[in-house]
Amino acid sequence: MSEVNEAGTRTAARTYLQMIRAELLKLTRKRSIVGTAAFLSIGTIVLYYAVLEIQHLTSPGSYGPAGGLDHFDNTLGFLGIYFGALAAILIGTEAGTTDTASGAFRDLVVTGRSRLALFAVRVPAALLVTLALGLAALGVSIAATFAFAGGLATPGVSFVLDGVLWVCAAQLVVCAVAVGVGGLTGSRAASLTILIAWQVLAGRVLARATVLGDARDAVPNLALGALKPGQPLTDNYGLTMSAGIAVAVLAAWVVVWLALGARKTLVRDA
Amino acid sequence: MPNTHIIQTQGLTKRFGTRVAVDDVSLAVPHGCAFGFLGHNGAGKTTTIRMLLGLTTPDAGTMRLRGLPVPDQRARALSRVGAIVEEPHFHSHLTGRENLRVAAAVRGPETFARIDGALGRVGLGDRADEKVARYSQGMRQRLGVARCLIADPELLILDEPTNGLDPAGILDFRQMIRALVGEGRTVFLSSHLLDEVEKACDAAAIIDAGRIVKAGPIAELTHASVEQLLIACDDEARALVLLADDAGVARVESIDGVLRVTLARSGGAAELNRRLVVAGVGVTRLEPVRETLEERFLEITSRLEAVA
Repeated sequence: MSEVNEAGTRTAARTYLQMIRAELLKLTRKRSIVGTAAFLSIGTIVLYYAVLEIQHLTSPGSYGPAGGLDHFDNTLGFLGIYFGALAAILIGTEAGTTDTASGAFRDLVVTGRSRLALFAVRVPAALLVTLALGLAALGVSIAATFAFAGGLATPGVSFVLDGVLWVCAAQLVVCAVAVGVGGLTGSRAASLTILIAWQVLAGRVLARATVLGDARDAVPNLALGALKPGQPLTDNYGLTMSAGIAVAVLAAWVVVWLALGARKTLVRDA
Repeated sequence: MPNTHIIQTQGLTKRFGTRVAVDDVSLAVPHGCAFGFLGHNGAGKTTTIRMLLGLTTPDAGTMRLRGLPVPDQRARALSRVGAIVEEPHFHSHLTGRENLRVAAAVRGPETFARIDGALGRVGLGDRADEKVARYSQGMRQRLGVARCLIADPELLILDEPTNGLDPAGILDFRQMIRALVGEGRTVFLSSHLLDEVEKACDAAAIIDAGRIVKAGPIAELTHASVEQLLIACDDEARALVLLADDAGVARVESIDGVLRVTLARSGGAAELNRRLVVAGVGVTRLEPVRETLEERFLEITSRLEAVA
């Protein structure tokens, strides 16, 4: 590679890093969004262990210790499928719609920077914020698991690592899909409505629709459930699928929604 | 041969369904001037600008910005173009400075160093760390210009930049435009405010119903198609009779004690003055009528409406 090309590549790399930092700035300064997402992921875990510990302290005969393996397993579900997923939706949607919602998208397009680049940098920024919140929540969960274990069995290192990886993967999938949906609709309200309705209601209804047979494998929460370490999720209704199919389903959801979001960003009338 | 025009369009056309918003527009904007783009609301100004900036695609025609064909070399062409289309938008939860950091990140690493200078230049240096949500419309307009300036632009495209500004803000804005032109930059100023274009620009194009109907230096555009004189004298009745009988006068009328004389041919003012004086009429005022751009604009567009 010639020196000129190398310098050009370095400048391009610096530009993209700075664009990602700018996206992070936009996201993290939205205190209401980040605060709500932090409450959904970290706050709910704190509440969960606080309630369990208070119950245990006030009535140790009826309630066991707050920590231990089973409770840690429960928090994986909270963070991967339920509250943590809602936090990922909030962050992803905000990243996917913030430029169009503020009207600043036009002002960024007239700089000459490609629209694809403007879309692409939203993804890592949203993933980083989601990951930071998810890891913080996991940190709380792991600390409480061991601190409040009492005489209960605690998870081994490999289970903890598997759990951390699964939660991170689950939140990143949901967040990436949310960025794509946000890019497609351009509307924060519409994206949030669609994604929360899907996550809370439609996905579960489809999962229970036995008439759909193996087509239910395409529901992302079922695919995530199939990959979850520890106890299966109750929302999986006993459905199983191979890890390969589960990964392929999740990859397809991410790729399709990001592609739709990118496509719309390319042709959107600014 | 160096390209002498910073904006060039040829046969630019944009349709929305059956409506032709921009119709065969050919523009040539020279370097280093303030160029007005004048037209009624809905005449096609913003659509033309949106095509130049790649915000919407033309149905026909070619465009060059800074000598580079767009959209083929859009990124290079726009790298030193600053633009405000309709009104500048910002992330209102960020400060003015943070908004410029976002823009600088998109522009490229070299632009960060220009942020403080640009904020100072538009008079926002001491308000740069306040959230944009607290900015007045005038401050947002100035921040929009600062965002343009961080690109060190050869060309600034400003669409209705004085909308919402108070008279002092408009005056500041006009001075800023002249200062930018003084630095060798080109300002393409779209406006429906004729007075604004006349005072700020060196040249202009008038667009009406999507077509360029007149273009040229402001002095040329405001040059009357017929020569008129305003004459005040000590014997208005006698002067009226004399002028009405003069072959060099096409029309004369008395308005509030002043005679408005339309000459049959140009260059007859001195001869007319001599005849009045010789006839014993004392001329106290003889002033050529200079059409304002507003009058010229209305004359052109109403003529077109009559033809239609």
